[in-house]
Amino acid sequence: MGRAALADDASPWNPPPRFAPPDAASDEGGLWAMMAHEEQRLRRSQLLIRDAQLRAYLQGVTCKLGGEHCPDIRIYLVRTAWFNASMAPNGMMQVWSGLLLRVDNEAQLAAILGHEIGHYLQRHGLERLKDARSRATFATLLMPLGLAGSAGAFLAAASGFAYTRDQEREADRIGLTLMRNAGYDPREASVIWSNLLDEAAVHTGANLTSNSPMFATHPASAERRETLAQLAGSGGGDLFASEYLLHTTLLQRDLLDDELKRAEFDESIVLLNRLTKRSPERADLLYFRGEAHRLRNQKDDADLAQADFNSALALPQCPPEADRSLGFLHQARGEKAAARASFERYLQAAPEASDAAMIHTYLQELQS
Amino acid sequence: MKRKLTVLLCVTLAGCAAMGKIESGEQAVGDRLVVSLDGPWNQFNRGVDVPTWTVEGFTVDRLRFFVGVKDGDPIAKRPKGESEQRPLTFHSTMKAHEVVALFQGLYTQDGSTFTLDRIEPVTFIGESGFKYTYTLLRRSDDVRLSGVGYGAVHNGELTVIDYSAPRLGFFPRYREQIEKMSLGAHLRS
Repeated sequence: MGRAALADDASPWNPPPRFAPPDAASDEGGLWAMMAHEEQRLRRSQLLIRDAQLRAYLQGVTCKLGGEHCPDIRIYLVRTAWFNASMAPNGMMQVWSGLLLRVDNEAQLAAILGHEIGHYLQRHGLERLKDARSRATFATLLMPLGLAGSAGAFLAAASGFAYTRDQEREADRIGLTLMRNAGYDPREASVIWSNLLDEAAVHTGANLTSNSPMFATHPASAERRETLAQLAGSGGGDLFASEYLLHTTLLQRDLLDDELKRAEFDESIVLLNRLTKRSPERADLLYFRGEAHRLRNQKDDADLAQADFNSALALPQCPPEADRSLGFLHQARGEKAAARASFERYLQAAPEASDAAMIHTYLQELQS
Repeated sequence: MKRKLTVLLCVTLAGCAAMGKIESGEQAVGDRLVVSLDGPWNQFNRGVDVPTWTVEGFTVDRLRFFVGVKDGDPIAKRPKGESEQRPLTFHSTMKAHEVVALFQGLYTQDGSTFTLDRIEPVTFIGESGFKYTYTLLRRSDDVRLSGVGYGAVHNGELTVIDYSAPRLGFFPRYREQIEKMSLGAHLRS
């Protein structure tokens, strides 16, 4: 499909009927057996987030988009702090938890799921598997648990299975159509890519595919973002922001914890700047942004961290760790009385904390 | 058949060359750290950037020694091809929590999930140091590991001994030995 055809969003597209399982004796049947085996492993994985309500919600969004294909698409939420989603040709869709942290509303989630469903409906994965090199790398991608080595190894494998530009454009276009049909605002699709490109921009001059699993399989560019915005037109439809936040609230702390543990503070600060702007009333976001600054510890980071911790502590439901972190900042500056006060408030709020003994030691040091 | 056997022999010998034996008794790790061992260990001679030992095999248990990491140096090299990722740099002003955060970053770079279970003060290599225990859900094989580490800063340089093994069976089997060895470790003057 050429660019001109893409720009003409009026051309009709109708989803295909449900796919019948392939003959077990065929090549395709062999691939299905391989995928079924890996899906069994995925179901048993300890990395799977098993929150039944959240899974039902994700499956529900998938069904709103996928229509009659809904029973054939199975969604699995995998605990990994990066933004990624992938679809196997047999309907096994994986969503990584880092994606949920970066999505602001149900319409943005639908944009990603709709795009992946687009790949499924057009059988792009199967087309790629006709190529032997892609087949080898796909086996790696398919197995979130069979990946030996580092993120770099995954990214190298992922880029080996990247869809073609035409396939990506087609999936984008179908995703937008599915969003519109389900009542979502299609303009949110370009917002996601815009946000991801902002995060990636911290790596000046870097190859995007070498940093992001999503970009490794879904090449991103400003041109793609602009095309999505153009195709979305003047929008219409809803964001369903409160529905999304309601269903992901319980997971937020784990998502933020995992994000910080990646130790990619430049990216995290870009992300948290956006999230705190979106939800300035949330003390947890201010605390985590402060932590990202404190741990990065460059230039004005200590001052920025302190400002965030103080703002967080003035809000309801502030994590007690904000006082602990404030104590570290005071301690580093030699402000002993302020450090003691902060550590004592932390221990008062979390007397059974896993680091309580260590904090007591700091308090003793501060007495001298 | 003869050719296959030759290839197999070559592969086996190459594998052996990558491993060395560490006998029980007092042993030096690098130039500085000295530990006393209750039993023998196997040492990796290739493919690792910090001294790494094992009893059961590389994919099962790992004992790693980060010795004399200087201010401004990374605790370990990033794997090839990941140069864009932020280096995990040690600074001598870091508190125990911040040092452990570096190890969190190291162990989660492949998408594994790290949970700090406990951190507490201990005396290690003659310094006021810290001990941390953690759980790691290893992404590569979906195995839940337990880990324990001892760390301290001496003359501005960081030393950490870190051991991890599958939570069931292996970790409890070696934990006591590791803790005794770590608490008895010292630096050569």
